[in-house]
This record gives sequence, structure tokens and C-alpha cells, in this order.
Amino acid sequence: MAEGIGIGLIAIGAGLAVGLTGLGAGMAEKDVGAAAVGAITEDQSLFGKAMIFMVLPETIVIFGLVIAILGIFVMANTI
Amino acid sequence: MSLPESMSRIVIVGAKSHIDEAIEAIFDEGAIHLIDHTVGADEDLSLGTPRPYSSKASERLLKVRAMEKGLGIAKNDKTQVLSEEEVKSQISSDSVELVEAEITAVFDKRNDLNQRITELNATKRNLELLSDIPIDIELYSGYRSIFSTVGTIVEDPTAALSGVDCEIFSSFDKKKSNVIAVFAKVADKDKVQSVLSEHGFSEISVPNEAGSAASALTRTDREIEAAQTEQENVSKELESLLEKHRNFLSASDEQLSIEVQKGEIPVRIANSEYTFVIDAWVPTAKVDAVKADVESKVEGVYVEVQETRGRKMKESEEAEQRFKDAPTKFNNGVVVKEFEYPTKLVSVPKYQEIDPSILIAIFLPLFFGLMVGDVGYAIPFIILGAYGLKVTHHKDWRAIATVLFFGGIWAFIFGFFFFGECLGMHFVSSHHMLGVEYSWQALLGLENLPAIFDGILYGGSGVGKLFHVGLLLKLSVYIGIVHLMIGYFCALYNKHIQYGFVHAFKEKGGWIFGFIGLVLVCYGLAMVLIYSSTYSFGDVLPFIAIGAVLIVIEIVMNIKHEGIQAVLELPGIVGNILSYTRLAAIGMSKAGMALAFNYIALGMVAGVEISNGVVSNAAFNIMDIIGLLLFSFLHLMIWTLAILSAGLHGLRLQFVELMAKFFEGGGVEYTPLKIKRMKTTSNKTIKEV
Repeated sequence: MAEGIGIGLIAIGAGLAVGLTGLGAGMAEKDVGAAAVGAITEDQSLFGKAMIFMVLPETIVIFGLVIAILGIFVMANTI
Repeated sequence: MSLPESMSRIVIVGAKSHIDEAIEAIFDEGAIHLIDHTVGADEDLSLGTPRPYSSKASERLLKVRAMEKGLGIAKNDKTQVLSEEEVKSQISSDSVELVEAEITAVFDKRNDLNQRITELNATKRNLELLSDIPIDIELYSGYRSIFSTVGTIVEDPTAALSGVDCEIFSSFDKKKSNVIAVFAKVADKDKVQSVLSEHGFSEISVPNEAGSAASALTRTDREIEAAQTEQENVSKELESLLEKHRNFLSASDEQLSIEVQKGEIPVRIANSEYTFVIDAWVPTAKVDAVKADVESKVEGVYVEVQETRGRKMKESEEAEQRFKDAPTKFNNGVVVKEFEYPTKLVSVPKYQEIDPSILIAIFLPLFFGLMVGDVGYAIPFIILGAYGLKVTHHKDWRAIATVLFFGGIWAFIFGFFFFGECLGMHFVSSHHMLGVEYSWQALLGLENLPAIFDGILYGGSGVGKLFHVGLLLKLSVYIGIVHLMIGYFCALYNKHIQYGFVHAFKEKGGWIFGFIGLVLVCYGLAMVLIYSSTYSFGDVLPFIAIGAVLIVIEIVMNIKHEGIQAVLELPGIVGNILSYTRLAAIGMSKAGMALAFNYIALGMVAGVEISNGVVSNAAFNIMDIIGLLLFSFLHLMIWTLAILSAGLHGLRLQFVELMAKFFEGGGVEYTPLKIKRMKTTSNKTIKEV
């Protein structure tokens, strides 16, 4: 029973890892995006750089995803 | 390693009497990067003045540009190419001025007409209002003791004006404006005006016409029509002028720009009373040819090679301010040249550092291919990329087309030999596939597919993006370690050529130890934490111990010059390595989408079953068509998203993870003086550098 709860908690943790990091990345991209659009309006040639800055915060979600997958591995090994 | 091309500094000295020939010769060489002379660099030398022909040329250029703007000739319009001699002789026989007179006359006519039409339209508006009042126009004026005023009004002032001796004509119409005309004694003028303004009166001027307003309106309409006809004629005239002079204007724009550019060279170089001195950078490989060429072409000119700039920072630091930075000339082949664009997006490399274009050329398409990893998406990428490279010359589009083409090839290789996938469906069915997953083998009933792919694909059916997640994660982390290692070694190499090996090792060697140490420690810890049932702490102790020692070496080496950063940077390195797991993550996300879309779209097509494939006896109906359309549309969506996500994330891994390790940038790009003719041809052959 206790093991079952543990597995469930890992699953919830994995979900939280992806979900919360997604929120975090979204909050970061909101600011970057607003600034990028402003910069591009001033100078079209900044599009390339702005695009790169736009995807920078997406790393956060990827970290979340890695943690979630690791969690699921641990979960699979425990069963 | 791919360093920018070696540069030599030359000085060209000559008599001022031959300066025009010298300028001509320098432009013909097409390999001379001018160093601007700075005032006060030498006591006896000063900046020169533009050549005498330059001011006339600029004046004409201004006229030509104004005409081009007026006629709407754009720079990239296709025009007939004229010969240089022809354009020159036309310009010197005052053709620019003649054309200008011709065109200006028509421009003036057009402006006059535009103004007249505006005026007539204003009169027309007033007459339309006046036509509501039954008074002839000439009756509004010409009185001695009476004044008249006419205009639009918001409210009816009749009641307020009842105490004043006046006559009011008004027309109140809800659809149109209310118009009122008041005739009163001159003595009551102030009173009437104040009452009217209280009721929202706005006076209109009475046109200088006679007879009824309606007949005047008809006359004005006729005049407007006549003016418009004339305007059309003028537009036609302008069009014919555009056709007539388009070629000459475009060609003379180019020719005059060249003359101005050449004429202003003396302002950038050092001059004494009788001589000129030009400092310039030339690629070392060309320096002898340039010297021989210029000296033989121009009489009384001497070229001396001052130095061949090495890569040591000391050399440029010791140089005079204006000679400090040698320009960076990219030294790449045909393919890698296309990848200079992303490098420049960050910065132009310094003369003394590795040009990362070649690393981008290798890894960007590779990462792109690994993230896409699907034959079905790869083929359109290859076709689109090849088409783009063939057709477009715009550098932005070329950069995208290059990535699509080479990335597409890698995507095909990975899709075919590694993942065994096409449009999100594996070629071969296997036990690990999810219950909702289609495969080409089952779909088309190709029973010989497993035999074909046996031995090619991992496990007989290829790597499942959603099944072999652990394998893909590990693979992407290993790729990251290799990629970052290359970055660290590039940093070591950069510092080695700039300051010597001992300095480089002290500055960057520590990080290499730290990086390897960290990788070992993380490997050990990951083994214990994830596979705790298989590995015990004792098994991985050697990894952790060696890693820890290496990290300590890193901290000892770096603590002196980096301070606390030597420790704080370490988690950042782990972050960098984990950042490469996006290679697996983006592939997963695309596979997930494709799986869901295939399930939805193919599920709508009657007679297609997951395990049995196409069942021949099912009746064909409208849902099949919708299903197939949906199938195409949804896959097009994934394909488009792939460009964005795989392309951008691939690029990001180069910029943020790799290049941040060694790339400094901030170099000056090599821009030799040369003439690029598009609209004119010269009988001189211009050498390409």
C-alpha cells in the first residue's frame, strides 16, 4: 500500500515537473516576446536574434521534462 | 582549424598627379581593404579633398535619385544593361540635365493639376451647400448698407434673431448639413454674428460665380472632369517618360554612385602637398600580385608590404590604433560559406579566433535531422531546400534553404536507418508499439518489410521516439558532451594562438578538467540513483572519485583568476549538458503529435484497421476523403512546426551552448574596395577575390 502511494507521488511529481516548468517558461517568454516584438518594430534586421532569444527560456521546460522522465524511470524500476 | 584568412598590411605611396589612375587600379584589384587615415596620425600628412569630378557627380546623382523616386523606379527593377562608355558619354553630354528638364516640366504640370482639382472639389462642396438656398450667387455680395453671411449651422437661430432686422434663408435637412444665409444691416453685424456662433455656425466662402448655385455646380463638375482627363493624360505622359528613361536613369544612378565613391577616396587617405599615402589590408596570398599589378599599372606609385599580421594578441596590441584590428576574411568552402550567415547573426569573428561557421555547418543540420528524424518530412525538406538554394539570392532565405537542405538529408538518414519512420508511422510493426499506433507494414499489408529492414534498424523496427526514451535521452546527452568538449578545445586553441600554450592551458585547461570531472561524477550519480537495483555505490565509486579529483584540479586552477565563479559555474555546465536533451524531447513531441493525428485521421477512413491495415471490401465514402484531407493537413502542420522548433533549437544549441564556450566576436569584416555593376557593363575584367 505504502509503495503504491509512493509510485503515485512520483507520477504526480513528474506531472508537476513538466507543468510548473511550462508555466515558468511561459512567464519568461512573455517578457522576452514583448521586448522582441518591440525591438523588431524598431529594426527589422533584429528578427533573427529576437527569434533566438524567444526560444531561450524553453530550456526550462526541457529540464522539467528530463526530471519527469527520470522520475518515471525510477518509478518503473520500483514496480 | 578554420581561422580567418591571413592578412598583410601594405602602404601605397604615389604622386598626386597619378591619384586617379591609382584609385582606378585599387578598385580594379578588388582585394584592397582601405584603412581610414586619422587626423593627427602623422604631422606632415592630412586628409585630402574629394576629386574635382566628384561634386558634379554627386549633384547629378541627387537629381537622378529624385527623378527615380518621382517616377517610382526601384533599385531592383529589371532594366536593360548599358555599357559604361555609353552611360559616361551620355552623362558628360548633359543628358541628366536634359532628362531632368523634361521630367520636371511634367511633374510641375501634374502638381498644378492636382492643386486645381483640390480647389475645384472645395468649390463644389460649397456650391452643393449653397444650392439648397434659392438665391443667385452674385446676390450674396455688392451691398453698401447690408452685409450677408452664409454657412452651415447646428440649431435654428430664427427665434434668437427675431429682434434683429434681417432676412433669413435657411434649409434644414436631417440627411445633409443645415444651411443658412442671413442678410442684415451692417450696424447689426456683431450681434448677428454672435447669435449665429452660439448656434454652431460655420461660415462658407461664396465662390466667385454668377447665376444659380445649381448651374454653377454643373459648370464646376464639368471643369473637374476636364481637369481629371488632363491628369490622366499627364499620367500617361509620365509613364511614357518612365519607359523612355528607365534604363538611362538606372544605369546613370549606378555609374554616378561609382564615380562618387571613387571621387571620395582622397578624403579617407593621407595626403601631403604632392603625394598621397594609402594604408590598406590585403590577403597575404594576394599581396605579391597586388603589389606587382598596382606598380605596373600606375606610373610613379610604390607599394610596400609593411607586415603580415600574426594571430598573437601582442602584435595587434602593440600596433598603432588604426592598425590594431586586421579585418576578418572568412576562409570557407562553397558549402560552409552558406553557414557564415548564422555566425554573423551573432558577430563577425575576430581575426585571431576560430570561425565557428564550420562547426555550425556540421552540427546544425545534424541536430536538425536528429530532431526531425522522419523520412516523410525529410523529403519535402530536401526538395524545398534544393529549390530555395537554386532560386533565391536573398541571404536570409538562402540561410534557411541551406539548413533545410542539409538538415533534410540528415533527417532522411536518421528517419530511414535509425528511427525507421515515415509520417510518424514505423515501417515495421513491433511489439513495443502502443495500441493506437499504425505501421506501414500493417497499413499496406507489406509482409516483406521486416525482412528488408532486418539488420538495418535497431531491434528490427527502429528506435521508437516514444518508447526508447531512455536511449534517446542518453544519446542526446552524449552528443552534448562531445559538442561541448569541442567548444572547450576551441577555446583552448583560440587562447593558444593568441597568447601561447602555457597561458591557454592556465586559462582554459582548468575548465576542460572540470568538465570531464563533472561528467564522470554525474555519470556515477545517475547510475546509482536511476538504476539503484543494478548498481551499488561501490560500483560507481571510481567514476565519482576521479571526477571529484578533476573538479578539485579545476577549482585550484581557476580560483585565482576566476574567483568564486570557478565553483559557481559548475552547475551551469550540468545545465548546458542537459540542455541537449531537447534533441530527444523535440523528436518526442513531434512523434506524439503524429501519433495522435494518425489515429484521428486514419481512424476516419473506413476500411483501415490498426492491426489489419486496408480492408478491401469496405465501401468508399465521403468520410474517407475528409480523413485523407485531414491527414495531409495535420502532417503539414507538424512539418511546418518542425522548421521552427527543430531549426531554432538546433541553432540555439550552437549559439548558446557551443559558441558561448569560445567565441568572442567583434571583428571587423573584410570589405575590399570594388565595383559591383548590375545595370552597366564595363569592358574591364574585374577580378574576384
